[in-house]
Amino acid sequence: MEHYLSLITKAVFVENILLAYFLGMCSFLAISKKVDTSIGLGFAVIFVLTITAPTNWAMNKYFLQDGALAWAGFPDVNLSFLNFIVFISVIAAMVQLVEMILDKFSPTLYQSLGIFLPLIAVNCSILGGSLFLVEREYTLLESTVFGFGSGLGWLLAIVSMASIRYRLRYSNVPSHLRGVGITMLLTGLLSIAFMSFGGIQL
Amino acid sequence: MHSNKYTLIFTAVLTIILGFFVSTADSSLKDMREKNIEADIRKNILSSLGFKETLESPWTNERVEEIFSESIIGFVVDSAGSVIDGKNPKDINPDKDFKEFPIYKRVSGEQVEGYSIPISGKGLWGTMYGYFSIEPDGATAKGITFYSHIETPGLGAEVDKPWFQNNFPGKKFVDPNGKLIGIQAMKGGVDETSPEAYHQVDGISGATMTTNGLNSFLYEGLKNYDPYLSKIRSSLSL
Amino acid sequence: MALLDKKSKKAFSDPLMSNNPISLQVLGICSALAVTVKMDTAVVMSLAVIFVLAVSNTVIALLRKMIPGKVRIIVQLSVIASMVVFIDLVLKAYFYDMSKQLSVFVGLIITNCIIMGRAEAFAMQNGPWRSLLDGIGNGIGYGGILIGVAFFRELLGSGTFYGIQIIPDSFYAAGYQNMGLMVLSPGAFIILGLIVWAQRLIANIEEE
Repeated sequence: MEHYLSLITKAVFVENILLAYFLGMCSFLAISKKVDTSIGLGFAVIFVLTITAPTNWAMNKYFLQDGALAWAGFPDVNLSFLNFIVFISVIAAMVQLVEMILDKFSPTLYQSLGIFLPLIAVNCSILGGSLFLVEREYTLLESTVFGFGSGLGWLLAIVSMASIRYRLRYSNVPSHLRGVGITMLLTGLLSIAFMSFGGIQL
Repeated sequence: MHSNKYTLIFTAVLTIILGFFVSTADSSLKDMREKNIEADIRKNILSSLGFKETLESPWTNERVEEIFSESIIGFVVDSAGSVIDGKNPKDINPDKDFKEFPIYKRVSGEQVEGYSIPISGKGLWGTMYGYFSIEPDGATAKGITFYSHIETPGLGAEVDKPWFQNNFPGKKFVDPNGKLIGIQAMKGGVDETSPEAYHQVDGISGATMTTNGLNSFLYEGLKNYDPYLSKIRSSLSL
Repeated sequence: MALLDKKSKKAFSDPLMSNNPISLQVLGICSALAVTVKMDTAVVMSLAVIFVLAVSNTVIALLRKMIPGKVRIIVQLSVIASMVVFIDLVLKAYFYDMSKQLSVFVGLIITNCIIMGRAEAFAMQNGPWRSLLDGIGNGIGYGGILIGVAFFRELLGSGTFYGIQIIPDSFYAAGYQNMGLMVLSPGAFIILGLIVWAQRLIANIEEE
C-alpha cells in the first residue's frame, strides 16, 4: 500500500508528467484559457490514462515483449519494435470510446471540449505514460496506479494554469508576450514551484 | 463517401504494407542493434576496470571486443561463493536467477588485476545502474562507474563525475576482521582522522537521498558476492 | 507546375518564420523540450522530426484521395508511427549512444502535434510535392526553435557549445557558476517563453 501511495505522490507532484517531462503541452496551452473546460479535459485525461496504462501493459506483456508470445507457442518472437504502433492504436480506440460515452452522457461537456477530444489521442502524456511504464518495468497494478497518478498530476497542472490565466486578465502583459509567451513563462514558474516537492518519499 | 467494404480493404492493405516495411527494417537492423547493446555493456565493464578510451584508439565495437576477449574473463558465482562451471554472465536473467551472480575478472596473462560486479539500486528519482570494481585482494575498492541514472543534474547526478568516483579507489569495504561493512558516502565529507575513514568517501552535498541509496545498494550488492570474495581473501592471507 | 512556383515556395518558407509551428501555431512542444538540455540531442531530434514530417506528409498526400474519411485519423497515425519506428530502429543500429539519451522521446514524435496537424491541415488537401516542401519547412522551423532553446540551455547550464567548453576557466575562477536552473525543466519553459516573445516582437504578431 505504502509503495503505491508513494508512486502516486511521485507521479502527481515530484515527476509531474507535464511540468517535469513536458508531456501534453499542446492541449495544455490550448485549453488552459478556461477553468471549467480545463477541469473537463483533465478528467478525460485521467480516465484515458488510467485505462490505457493497464491495457498497454498487457499488450506489451502478452504480445510485444521478447518471448511474450510463448503462450501461443512462439517463444522466440520479439515484436517489441511494434510497440509504438500498437500503443497508439490502443490509445486511439480508447479515445474514440471516451468520445462516444461523453456524447451520450454529458453533451455539454462534449460540446465544450469540441475538437480537442480527438486531440487526446495525440496528447503526448498518454503515449508517454505507456512508454514510461514499459521502460520502468512496472507491474500491472503499478502501471494502473502510475497512469492514474500521471493523469491527476496533469489535471492539477492544467487547472492551476487555467486559474492563473484567469487572474492574468487583469494584468498588463506586454502585447507581444500575451498568449503562449506568458503562458510558457508561467509554466516555468509553476514547474519551479513543483520542484520543491523533490525528494519527498512516503 | 466510401463504402464499408472499401474502408476495410483499404485498412487491410495499408496495414500489410506498413507492417512489411517495419518488420523488414527491424530484421535487417537487428544484428547491428544487438551488437551495439552488447558492446555498450562491455564498454562499461572495461571502464570500471580502469581501461580508458583514447583519441588514438576510440572504442569502436571491434576494438571493444578485442580488448574484452584479450583481458576480461566473465563467469558466474552462486550464493555459496563457488564458481558455476559452464555458465556465462550472458546466460543470467536478473529477473529469474536471483541466486546466481555474474562477475568479470581483468587478467593480464596469469595475473589477476581486478574484479568488476554490476550494481544497481534506487537513488532519488529512479534506479541507478553501474559497475563496482574490486582490487585482486577482494577487499579494496578499485573504482565505481554509473552508466544509467536519472538523478538531479548538479546534485545527485554528480555520482558520474570524476571527483566523486575518484574518492573510491583504495577504500576498504570489509573491516579488519574480514566482515563486510560496505563503503559509506558521508554527508559533509570524510573526517580523515576518524578510525572509520578507511571505508568512507565524501558524499555529495544536497543529494542525501542519492547517497543514502548508493550506500545501501552498494552494500546489498557486495553481500551477494561476499562468499566468493571472502574465499579470495582467505586464500591470499594463507 | 514549375518546381518552385509561388505557392510551393510559400509552403516551404512560411513555417520558417511568419507561421512558425512552435511559436505561432503552438504545436508540437510536447516531447521536444525534454531533449533540449544539450545541442547534440536537439539536433538529432530535429533531424528525426524533419524526416518523419517530410515522409509522412508526402505519403499522406499521395494517399489523400484514397483514404476513407471515417478512418483517416488512424490511417495518418499508422503512417506516422511506422516512420517513427523506422527512425528509432536506425538510431539504435547506427547511433546507439544517441538513442539511449533520447530514450522514449523518439517514440513521442508520433504524438508530436505538428506531424498530425500538418497531415490533417495540409497534406490532405495538397499534392505530394507541396506537402513534401511543407513538411520540410515545418520541420526546419520546428528544429530551429528546438536548437535555439538547446543553445541557450547548454551555454548557460553547462557552459558548453556542442559539448565543447566555451566559458573560459578564468570565468569560473573569478566566481562564475553554471546556472543549474537551465538544466532542469523550468529552464526550458522560460527560454522558450522568451524566444516566443522575441519572435513575435520581430514578426509583429499580437494575440487577443
